[in-house]
Amino acid sequence: MLSKKVCMLGSFSVGKSSLVRRFIESIFSEAYHTTIGVKVDKKVVRVGEEDVTLVLWDIHGDDVFQRLQLSYLRGMSGYLLVVDGTRKQTLEDALAVNDRVVTELGKIPAVLVLNKCDLIADWEVDSDREAKLKEDGWTVFHTSAKTGDSVDHAFSHLAHAMLGK
Amino acid sequence: MPEQAQRRAPMGESPQKPPEDDHALEELRHLIVAPEQEGIAEIRERMDNRERRAEDVSSVVAEAIQMRRDQGDDRALAEALAPTIQETLRESVRRDPHVLADALFPVMGPAIRRSITETLRSMLESFNEALEHSLSARGIQWRIESFRTGRPFAEIVLMHSLLYRAEQIFLIHRETGLVLSHVVAPAVAIQDPSMVAGMLSAIQQFVKDSFDSKRGDTLGSMDVGDLHVWIEEGPDTVIAGVIRGHAPASYRLALKEALESIQQRYASALDNFQGDSGPFRAAGEQLTHLLEAQYKEKESKRKAPRAAIAAGALVLAVVVALLIVWGYTRSEWEKFADSLRQQPGLVVTSAAKSGGKFRVEGFRDPFAADPNELLAQAGLNARKADLEFKPFYSMDDAMVTKRAANLLVPPAGVQLSASAGTLHASGSAPLKWIAHFEDRALWVPGVAAIDTSKLQDADTSALESMVLTFPVGSAEIEPGQESSLFQAASKIRLILSQASNGNEIPGIEIVGHTDTTGAEGTNLLLSDQRADHVRGILLRAGIQPANLRPRGVGTSMPLRSEATDADRHLNRSVTFKVIFSPAAPGN
Repeated sequence: MLSKKVCMLGSFSVGKSSLVRRFIESIFSEAYHTTIGVKVDKKVVRVGEEDVTLVLWDIHGDDVFQRLQLSYLRGMSGYLLVVDGTRKQTLEDALAVNDRVVTELGKIPAVLVLNKCDLIADWEVDSDREAKLKEDGWTVFHTSAKTGDSVDHAFSHLAHAMLGK
Repeated sequence: MPEQAQRRAPMGESPQKPPEDDHALEELRHLIVAPEQEGIAEIRERMDNRERRAEDVSSVVAEAIQMRRDQGDDRALAEALAPTIQETLRESVRRDPHVLADALFPVMGPAIRRSITETLRSMLESFNEALEHSLSARGIQWRIESFRTGRPFAEIVLMHSLLYRAEQIFLIHRETGLVLSHVVAPAVAIQDPSMVAGMLSAIQQFVKDSFDSKRGDTLGSMDVGDLHVWIEEGPDTVIAGVIRGHAPASYRLALKEALESIQQRYASALDNFQGDSGPFRAAGEQLTHLLEAQYKEKESKRKAPRAAIAAGALVLAVVVALLIVWGYTRSEWEKFADSLRQQPGLVVTSAAKSGGKFRVEGFRDPFAADPNELLAQAGLNARKADLEFKPFYSMDDAMVTKRAANLLVPPAGVQLSASAGTLHASGSAPLKWIAHFEDRALWVPGVAAIDTSKLQDADTSALESMVLTFPVGSAEIEPGQESSLFQAASKIRLILSQASNGNEIPGIEIVGHTDTTGAEGTNLLLSDQRADHVRGILLRAGIQPANLRPRGVGTSMPLRSEATDADRHLNRSVTFKVIFSPAAPGN
């Protein structure tokens, strides 16, 4: 059985919790976020002929008030950068986090998730900015806690990338 | 050969030098280094020659192993040898299974026996536990707890009766927090191990980061009520034991040892770990050994109630047995009292147990059955009986009958029976006894009336059944009947002598008969003559003429309807009849 540690990174209230709630196996309460700053969940993804268990470390957001605990990132094989499309600042914060991760751990597989695509009319992250992200090498997914299809795609893509497939 | 090659080699190193110098130098060198060179050559030969090297090692291999063991580090040696030994055993079995089977034979029997004993013992233990807990007050309390908390009863019982039990063991990859192996004790409810392991690692990190612990110090245990998580960290792995209850300190040592052994055994797999737990599958077996449990010793306090229950049960059993015996004997005595009540001539006025004896009081007719005999027949102990019957006259028919028979002494052929105060006599008896009966019977207690209608005088009936026959047309008795005549005379004398005491005077009718042949007038005359003829004989025998009344009836009272000569022969006869007439002598 293959398992991989995956971290979910992103600012406070980018909607990570609602993604987790609907599409991911979870046994722990959200209170863990505010107490120890991390909550571990699980998502099983099929890669080729094999099921891969993604052990998701949902790490509480990094913003001006929060110091990202890099020790939680140790040993991860990939990560999701979650951004709230309606708040441009969350993208900037996420990219700042990404820089720190790359500095500390080197370059490892990652995907960028633009959340709240059901509210696309209110988005501050426009298509030009998105095109720029793709130019920088990001694989970008539009997700929503309401539709959810892309959530699975995002994890599946990350799993393939981690296994080098 | 090698020695020559050695010598030649230095010579080749300085080909430019003059030969004489070379020679001298060579001589010198030979003198100085030859012994060392030879030694080195021999060592090199030893190193290169596999055969010799093996020979050298073989001489010390046993000592080397011994030494390693003495150093106290035989685990690494054992682990290094294990695969080879396993392969060797497999190969040996493949070649000839009997060799190993024979070698193992002496240990297999005891091992199997021990395993079975162990299994039975633990089965018994859990059975005892279940029995004990399902009935006791505490058991009920636990049932309520189970109901209240929604947890299975078995779990509640375990929780309270366990000293400790390791419920789960996690082997976690330290860096990623991924599960390498996870084992669970039977019937333990668990959460997804990958998430739990992740969270455990997160908490480890959290503690380290938040409380600024010194380098190398880690979270060693977590306690939540009765549940404890003991954590041991190695360079690449973390072992976490989830324990319910209070495990001894030695258990932590066991965790540590397991961790060290796994670190050592899977060193390369850990170095190359990419998230695949496959290579660590075998570690699960090692972890399973850590799933140990220890139950509480039975408290001596608890034995007391059990003993009390046993004693109580014994007392109850004895009481029940006594009740059964008492009920049985009681019913036996009751039955006996009832049988006494059924007996004619016995009246039971009271029957009860008193002072360890069964006392019966009442009345007994002298002719009733003996109660002591009835007691013996019932198979009861006479010494436990106290029977007291007062004599009395019973009016019971059977008693009256017995009493009458006792007082009146009826001759054989006479039956007496009383019914409702009347004594009936039937059969035939001498006239004397009949008179005696008529005279005395009414004096018998319980007899108010007598009935003699079915009672006959024996002499009378003997006389009346007598037939004296005559030849055809003759009034002379047929010869050969002298003894009958003699008997008739004596019977008549007897009857007359016995019956002479009443107001009636008995008389003997001598009745002459004829057959139907011949004229009726002739027959009547002939029958008169036959009666007179017999009368004459009886008079000569001394019977008083006043008692004899001859009369001829001709064919009017035939003894038989005539169908044969034998019938007619019988009808040519004289018979007797005893009659009584008032004592007013007319003739």
